[in-house]
Amino acid sequence: MPFEASSDRRGRQKLDRETVNTLLVFGLSIVLIVCSRFISPALGSWSQVLTVLILASFLVIMSFGQGLVILIGGLDLSIPALITLGGVLTTTWIGTADTGVWYMLPAILVICALVGAVSGIGIVWLKVPPFIMTMATSIVVASVALGYTSGTPRGGSPSALLWLMKSWFLGVPVVIYFTLAFILLGWLLQNFTALGRRLRALGTNRNAALIAGVSVNRLELVPYAISAACAGFVGMMLVGYSNGATLRMGDSYMLPSIAAVVIGGSSILGGSGTFIGTVGGAILLTTLGTMISAIGLSEGWRTIIEGAIIVGALLVLRGEFLTHIGNRMLTRGK
Amino acid sequence: MNLLKRLGLAASLTLATTAGVATVIDHAHAQDKKLKVYLSLSYSGNSWQSEAANIVKALAQTPPYDKTVELKEVISGTDPQAQISAYESMIQDGADGIISFPISSTALNRTIHRGCQKGVLFFMYDATVTEPCAYNVSYITAGFGENSAQALVNILGGKGNIFLSRGVPGNSVDKRHTDGAMHIFKQYPGIKVVAEYYSYWDDRTTQQETAKALAAHPDVDGIWAQAGEYGAIQAQLDKGNKLVPMTGENSDGFRLGLADPKMQGMGLKGVSAGSPPATSGYAFKLMMEILTKKRELKPMNVEYPLPWVPADQVKPCKGDTFADGCNVFPSDKVPSSFVTEVFNPELLPELSLQSALEGKPTPGASIQPLPADVKHAPDAPGINCSSCKAPADEYKLTKIEPTVKP
Repeated sequence: MPFEASSDRRGRQKLDRETVNTLLVFGLSIVLIVCSRFISPALGSWSQVLTVLILASFLVIMSFGQGLVILIGGLDLSIPALITLGGVLTTTWIGTADTGVWYMLPAILVICALVGAVSGIGIVWLKVPPFIMTMATSIVVASVALGYTSGTPRGGSPSALLWLMKSWFLGVPVVIYFTLAFILLGWLLQNFTALGRRLRALGTNRNAALIAGVSVNRLELVPYAISAACAGFVGMMLVGYSNGATLRMGDSYMLPSIAAVVIGGSSILGGSGTFIGTVGGAILLTTLGTMISAIGLSEGWRTIIEGAIIVGALLVLRGEFLTHIGNRMLTRGK
Repeated sequence: MNLLKRLGLAASLTLATTAGVATVIDHAHAQDKKLKVYLSLSYSGNSWQSEAANIVKALAQTPPYDKTVELKEVISGTDPQAQISAYESMIQDGADGIISFPISSTALNRTIHRGCQKGVLFFMYDATVTEPCAYNVSYITAGFGENSAQALVNILGGKGNIFLSRGVPGNSVDKRHTDGAMHIFKQYPGIKVVAEYYSYWDDRTTQQETAKALAAHPDVDGIWAQAGEYGAIQAQLDKGNKLVPMTGENSDGFRLGLADPKMQGMGLKGVSAGSPPATSGYAFKLMMEILTKKRELKPMNVEYPLPWVPADQVKPCKGDTFADGCNVFPSDKVPSSFVTEVFNPELLPELSLQSALEGKPTPGASIQPLPADVKHAPDAPGINCSSCKAPADEYKLTKIEPTVKP
């Protein structure tokens, strides 16, 4: 190909920082899985990889939404409440009877998205800081769910969600295919659509985006709505996974959803980051969790080690010097 | 958008937020002579907590209490400070009694002491406090940990690799259960704890943590679990068609599983025991008998009996109460995470399934007097007393005999 033959390598010799970071996150996950054999001989097996991927699928989907919000410089603290909302509405409105499952599932996602859009409206037009606005939404939604269920969410999982979370195809759980498709779509949306580019422009410099003709106010609602819908969907997945909803089902996902995004190479201040990196961050965090829980140490030590590895990984990944080393090796190789 | 519109939106948002702050208050019809009783929860959100609270609400609306008690429910949040300030406001408001699930066994002591001096009765259910002027009503000292551990050891024939699925780290209840269990497991060198994880008494967390442990130890022989045990069954089913013997608490899903021939065929055996939400009802009735001068009782630690249901004694209920010794509900009536021990035919005949699920009184029921005798709980340092010593036979087995020699 003529392009390949071109002697102009200026654009190609520089490894993009985001790409390096993404490769490193995935590399680190693989190293962790291989090393985990030293902890227990059963680890490092195909079965463990599948366990990690299933557990990571929740985090991957949630972090897509959180990642978009962080990309525009915001933060979504309403994720746990929306996971609960999605889960509770699914078990009470659809339940094991599969009442109108094909239109109710999308309808519930739309409700979640609308709740997210309300947070967005508060942030854009009432100028409430994202932190406070999403926290307020979270409290309201959680309280509504508590009042609506009087504390005990009834019903079980619709069969469609059981199929998604429990069935296998060609030796691999269906949910893994689903997550791969989601990753592909998310990546295309963020990198190859006008919406994705506008969001990045908005996160990099709001005024510049405005001058460039982006309708920034309306655009800013979108990530919050997507994030809420993603959280609602994770609620549905959790319903299929554990065949029921609880009011605290989302609690443990708040910080990991932010951590996955940041470890994946995004700036917490917005404007940079890729979804593929976030996926790597989610897998890395889940691998670490699985490995740590197999170490026969007391809970205190396990969480200390987990924390230390996360900080260490972030330091290594952030280091500009790795990009330099990468570039140097490329130049020498040629 | 013009300014008025903006203000209007801001105002309605503020209203919604204020209304949503996790405080739910039930107003009975306020009359001057009514006894003022507060129900203080540290948090709500799992089946156990809401069932326990619903039981108290249902009893407070059952005649004659519907005319004599004004019950207010306050959910304060998961940190002790929030509950301390909730207690303070209740004392200020002139409460006659406070019935509560305390978040900490020591942090609330000073406030409780102040309340006692002002004549407020404090009744703690399930979780306990070490302040001597409060009444503790709990199953904690009844030996869940050691009895269930012995049951597992018996089933495993004294040897095998096991998981411990624990509760909330740092919690005195989790510690008491685990200490009791380890007291038994340590006597059997053949029993090896290969994984120990915190499942926060939650089904979903138990499922995920058990899945992680199974990835590292697929050869596990048994699981000793606290509440959330149904998640451990689901994690095993996700892996294939093999189940190992396990002990757990009182979830409907676990009990149904123990009695299900299909799950038995996969290898499930075990015992269902543990924390009964009905404790709150017993505590409430005791408190009301004292407040209405029907009973004299100095502050003390009361032991609630430990539910104990081995697989062969699981019996599904046909109706909405625990009639004819039944102890589990069909899966179309309640979710799998529902905690079945919401009744007690002897202590709480007033309750039905609707009481536990929705906090509604049973139609036609009226409050029945409690048996005169109250069982004194043994001392448990840091749990129900502060400067005290545990009895020498703290971990004595009460429900089961060892069938294998250490």
